[in-house]
Amino acid sequence: MLKLDNVTVKYGKYAAIRDVSLTVEKGEIVVLLGANGAGKTTTFRTISGLNQLAGGKIIFEDLEIHRKSPNKIVEMGIVHCAEDRKLFPQMSVQENLNLGGYVHRKNKQQIKNSMKEVYDLFPILYEKRDDPAGSLSGGQQQMLAIGRALMAKPKLMLLDEPSIGLAPLIVEQMFESIQQINKEGTTILLAEQNANAALSIANRGYVYENGKIVVQGSSQELFENEEVRKAYIGA
Amino acid sequence: MLGAYITLTMMTALGVHYVISIIVSIFVVGVVSVLLERLVFFPLREAPPIQDKVAAIGILLFLEALAQLIWGPHYLQMSTPFNQVIAIGGLTITLQRIIIVITAVTVMILLWLFLKKTYMGASIMAMAQNRDGASLVGINTNKVAMITFFIAGGLAAIGASLTSPINLVFPGMGHLVILKAFVIIILGGMGSVPGAILGGYILGFTEAIGATYISNDYKDIIAFVLLVIILTFKPQGIFAREESK
Repeated sequence: MLKLDNVTVKYGKYAAIRDVSLTVEKGEIVVLLGANGAGKTTTFRTISGLNQLAGGKIIFEDLEIHRKSPNKIVEMGIVHCAEDRKLFPQMSVQENLNLGGYVHRKNKQQIKNSMKEVYDLFPILYEKRDDPAGSLSGGQQQMLAIGRALMAKPKLMLLDEPSIGLAPLIVEQMFESIQQINKEGTTILLAEQNANAALSIANRGYVYENGKIVVQGSSQELFENEEVRKAYIGA
Repeated sequence: MLGAYITLTMMTALGVHYVISIIVSIFVVGVVSVLLERLVFFPLREAPPIQDKVAAIGILLFLEALAQLIWGPHYLQMSTPFNQVIAIGGLTITLQRIIIVITAVTVMILLWLFLKKTYMGASIMAMAQNRDGASLVGINTNKVAMITFFIAGGLAAIGASLTSPINLVFPGMGHLVILKAFVIIILGGMGSVPGAILGGYILGFTEAIGATYISNDYKDIIAFVLLVIILTFKPQGIFAREESK
């Protein structure tokens, strides 16, 4: 479904990621593991068109997408749920969700249905629907970010560190929700530092180090890999 | 300023009717604004916000110098077909002034409805609050930026063309308006249409009451005394809190 072929991205002279190749198949949950600054977020920003690549190719459903603008990429079905959430803080929860459905704005009925689905998945958002997004707690903002992404009916969702800054109990709920979204048909590419939780729901994973992929394999393989255990699981 | 000159030129050089001149002026200034967005503000989109403001002041000086080159530094008068005097009760008022009030209120309501009720308006607000976030929900930020500048230019042309017949047309005609708009934004809170309306009325009434009870000569000073007082005691603006609901 999605294929990165030797992708290199530079900030000035510094290469943030070098020769990254990875694939995501339809229906999978694939996780990118790695420390801060290893290149996970850059990979996501590049897929969604916010960063330009210096070399390589990105192919989504047999089409090259790396020269397309971010809004075209959303229209094609890739939605990026950013680490810093990028919500519209002064708008209400409902207005944020409405804008999430921007690419489907001509289809009012669909937007209404999607919004109901989001409220079913995260009932707390319905309670807070008229509150400004900026007033929500961290966990609620993350739910809103995921909800807003779902409004676009993505084929592939890029989820950047959904567990960052959340209490352990909320993290568990968050991963359950992600699994549910995947079961309902959305392919998920996930970046996480919480390797334990991420590998427990993912099919496969890639491990980043200094902008390169150093290890890849199924969740089971990564879980049993000595170095991965030492670096990211801590046991 | 540019809008007023274009309206005036259409009327004097080509003999076009006042209202049609204004409509042409809206389009011309709108297009000029879009060009400025592409040439000046688009390349600055990643720069710190202060650079936009410096660029805006640069454009202001450039346009004024350009107007002076084309139309000269003199005060020009704009005539209006709406100079009938109307008496309501004991009040006499020119039709032009009534038109200004009605148009201003209508445009305000339309702008507010546009921003609140349409996807295009919502995407303008979204982009102001988080440009990357707007890209990520599929908004074409280039298109929205151009439309926003077109609207801004068009509104400036309406304002300038309507008030010119009761003031005068000259290169620096916008200075006092810009400074007063700044006071209004500080009063009403940035990015809030109701706040701007309220701020506008507060300033207007303060000026009118000041002119009546203190002295007409001090009318324009009152705005800036207000500005100094507000910035000293509430630098975030008076209504900033309530309006960010």
